[in-house]
Amino acid sequence: MGPLYKFGWFDFAYSLQLAGLIGFMFGFVLERAGFGNPRKLTAVFYLKDFAVLKVIFTAIVVCILGLLYFSVFGWIDLGRVYLLPTFIWPQIVGGLVLGIGFVMGGYCPTTSVVATVSGKLDGLIYIIGMMIGSVFFAEVFPMLEGFYTSGDMGAIRLTNVFNINSGIIAFLVCLVAVGAYWFVEKVEQKFGDKDTLPKGSPKVKRIAAGLLILLGLILAVVNPDRTIAKPAVSEIKPEKQVEAIQKPETKSEKPDSSGFKIVDDKGC
Amino acid sequence: MKERYSNPYVIGVILGLILLFSFYTMGRGLGSSASFARIATAGVNLVAPEHAKANAYFSTYLKGGKSPLMAWLVFLTLGAALGGLFSAFISNRIKGEVARGPSIGVSVRLWLALGGGILSGFAARLARGCTSGQALTGAAELAFGSWVFMLCIFAGAYATTYFFRKEWL
Repeated sequence: MGPLYKFGWFDFAYSLQLAGLIGFMFGFVLERAGFGNPRKLTAVFYLKDFAVLKVIFTAIVVCILGLLYFSVFGWIDLGRVYLLPTFIWPQIVGGLVLGIGFVMGGYCPTTSVVATVSGKLDGLIYIIGMMIGSVFFAEVFPMLEGFYTSGDMGAIRLTNVFNINSGIIAFLVCLVAVGAYWFVEKVEQKFGDKDTLPKGSPKVKRIAAGLLILLGLILAVVNPDRTIAKPAVSEIKPEKQVEAIQKPETKSEKPDSSGFKIVDDKGC
Repeated sequence: MKERYSNPYVIGVILGLILLFSFYTMGRGLGSSASFARIATAGVNLVAPEHAKANAYFSTYLKGGKSPLMAWLVFLTLGAALGGLFSAFISNRIKGEVARGPSIGVSVRLWLALGGGILSGFAARLARGCTSGQALTGAAELAFGSWVFMLCIFAGAYATTYFFRKEWL
């Protein structure tokens, strides 16, 4: 049962090797998508090419479905997945400023790495800028600390905010995704360069969209939140001994009806 | 100059599976901005260790006397650099250049890249993560703040995109 690391399947040293592997795949697919090229990235803001939005949204939808199905099948204990806490005010301001930094610099942090290794000097300069920005943040942190911790809502999810189960949320996200794909493709047709836009058969797209909505609909009916708590008790048992030895980092665990809890460490 | 890149939907599905793999094995998602904060911290720690330890934010990366670089995200970012290099290499896309639109000079573009980097580095610390560590990872977990953060990235970018049109178009 996952997450494997939290159940003591491997140690910290191995987790670093795994990080290298996951990072390799991450960087590889970003470059495949053309995200080492700032003109490709910023094209989304000029309504010419929505690859950025398609990639991010598709990855999110796939991962939401994957996590919830894994949880329903008892393959992952979502209670041990680190859930990012919500500090709403710094997240709003941070998001707005990062958006400006994105269109000004042409990259976001990870894509600048991919750009730099493919030889773009502006990518390297952007990275240097990020380090300056981080140091500046640390230097003014004493002044900002109040704001940094403001709007603390805890580790809440959309399920808590809208008070509906995560299956229905997943279904809604699938619907929004399909609607967004349809809409941005219309916009691309109008403003984009037809030669460089990806071609795909409408039939395949319709089938994929249907599959996405079907997978979301099944989750909405199944209600994954209900199935999280019950099998956990019996299925965790074999690993309980490992935990006792390993002394798992469950100090900040907060009970949460929907399954996710903070387990340890800082996110990004 | 036309470049053929992979289909974004296919890439999106693969990226989603990579993220799922990360959750399944490690119990956490992707990220990268913190590794630059860590590298910067290591630099400050090298030059002025007393100053770094006295700072409330740097010191969180220096806890336990360990090197700030011995962190999961730093290795992830190293891997991303190698993966990006490999992908660029096999499609002959490694080329020394300053990427920019046709109507902007090299030095202006570099200054804007620096400015954008500074803003992004600062903003990522403020929001506790960047596009991957906060928006992508958190949204996949249905974290409320991450969804708001992601919408704000697009809002901030679309609101100011007009002022940078000469840089890209």
